[in-house]
Amino acid sequence: MIRFEQVAKRYPNGHVGLHELSFRVRRGEFLFVTGHSGAGKSTMLRLLLAMERPSAGKLLLAGQDLATITNSQIPFLRRQIGVVFQNHQLLFDRSVFANVALPLQILGLPQDEINQRVSLALERVSLKDKALQAPTDLSTGQQQRVGIARAIVHQPALLLADEPTGNLDPRLAAEIMSVFEDINQLGTTVLIASHDLALIARMRHRMLTLQRGRLIGDGEAV
Amino acid sequence: MSSARVTPDQPGERVGATTKNQVQATLSDTRGFRNQLRAWLENHRASCVDSTSRLVRQPLGSFFTCLVMAVALSLPMGLALLLENVSQLGGSWQRAAQISLFLELDAGDTYGELLRDKIAEHEHVAEAQWISREQALTEFQEQSGLGEALRELPDNPLPGSILVTPEVIDKDALVALLDELKNMPKVQQAQLDLMWIERLAAILQMGEQFIFGLSVLLIAALLLVVGNTIRLHIENRRTEIEVIKLVGGTDGYVRRPFLYMGVLYGLVGGVMAWLLLAYGLNWLNDSVVQLAQLYGSEFSLSGVPIEDGFSLLLGAVLLGYIGAWLAVARHLRELSPR
Ligand SMILES: Nc1ncnc2c1ncn2[C@@H]1O[C@H](COP(=O)(O)OP(=O)(O)O)[C@@H](O)[C@H]1O
Ligand SMILES: [Mg+2]
Repeated sequence: MIRFEQVAKRYPNGHVGLHELSFRVRRGEFLFVTGHSGAGKSTMLRLLLAMERPSAGKLLLAGQDLATITNSQIPFLRRQIGVVFQNHQLLFDRSVFANVALPLQILGLPQDEINQRVSLALERVSLKDKALQAPTDLSTGQQQRVGIARAIVHQPALLLADEPTGNLDPRLAAEIMSVFEDINQLGTTVLIASHDLALIARMRHRMLTLQRGRLIGDGEAV
Repeated sequence: MSSARVTPDQPGERVGATTKNQVQATLSDTRGFRNQLRAWLENHRASCVDSTSRLVRQPLGSFFTCLVMAVALSLPMGLALLLENVSQLGGSWQRAAQISLFLELDAGDTYGELLRDKIAEHEHVAEAQWISREQALTEFQEQSGLGEALRELPDNPLPGSILVTPEVIDKDALVALLDELKNMPKVQQAQLDLMWIERLAAILQMGEQFIFGLSVLLIAALLLVVGNTIRLHIENRRTEIEVIKLVGGTDGYVRRPFLYMGVLYGLVGGVMAWLLLAYGLNWLNDSVVQLAQLYGSEFSLSGVPIEDGFSLLLGAVLLGYIGAWLAVARHLRELSPR
């Protein structure tokens, strides 16, 4: 599903985000990317989202090379991906429901199908009863779950999360992680960038360890 | 649980070959012309409704933006309409542009009438009138108040003349006509008063240039106003734009609500400009009619012609659209991931 082949990312200011990184992720996998701050985790996710382009190497996502993808193809690539951010990026001028519905509106689905899918997504994150509330009325953990619902509502093939538990206490963090595992059970490939080693270790999934842009470890967390 | 996690990466299973379609296949089928069309229409409807409601929710700000647009639009348009009225007034003054042909003293009535008929047939002549020597004297006596004194003169000193009203207002054609008439037999002198025509033409031309310059300036200002207003909307919706782009909104999708806003500003601004013009001209007309009556004229301003009104609307909508487009093109790129 994902193939990095000698992928390097050098920023215009000379900073190196990634050094010739190579690895593969199979469809349906659940993996963590970990490493200290500045190791290149976010860079990796931004490359997968085509927010940045690799400076060198080959980066295949679902068979498509992201080094050569055209600007007009990018939106269609992103429709296969769900993203969750640390700062969840919810829109506070509209209800929880409207936030989650956004990706479906972009697809132009009919309203009844949008309703149905949004309810389903909110159910997955146990927020069905909060649909009509404003995001500001929710707790941080609930807001993060709304972000997850929005990321999965269009049934993406790949779910990316950048420090999704960064703001949460350990109990909430574990809860969020189990939501990701549920989603993975339904067949979505899940890739989570996190430096919360304690949490990762408990979950026994594949873990890529980055250090200053290089891959220094690939295996099940211990 | 990790039991489901390692599935073979079969080539046939890859999503990428036709990126657009595969994901959507898992949703309801959004392929096919009818579905695409419906989705497209639905997006437009949603954008339009959303933009309208945003403008309505800030009534004061929207009103002033539209008002500025209306003023910027109605000013040159109003001046152009006034100018058109004045040049039509020029048309009615044309009767005053007369050429007087003074014949030699020995030209008699028969010759004078013959020449008048010939001149009247000229393509650039609207009307020609023969004034005999006797008529000239009588008129002069009446007008000068020297009736009795003049009667004492042994001979009538005044020549017969033909009063020619030209058909054209164009100065060059008038001069050519004058030349032609001057060279006719027994014509001693030909007089044309060009002063007012030259002045009017100069004023009209200056007016046109002024309006053109003003229009260019005001259109630029208008684009700036719309552009700036849209820029503020864009900045207020930064997060939304970023999120939309990250979940697969195309540039067109991001642009659309702002373009609708520009069009709406243009539409409302155009309607307001039309109203301003209609009321303004009407208000001005009262005093114009009074003034004209003082000079014994029936002149009055015509209102905004319906075609001009619709051109105004169309222009306003177009300008709103262009202003929005410029703002969107300029700001979206720097604002969000590609
Ligand atoms: N937009 C950027 N411009 C320049 N350098 C950047 C940018 N983003 C990240 N970097 C650099 O790339 C390296 C990796 O950063 P990042 O991918 O954000 O790491 P992480 O997410 O693991 O903390 C850092 O050295 C950082 O300074
Ligand atoms: Mg990071």
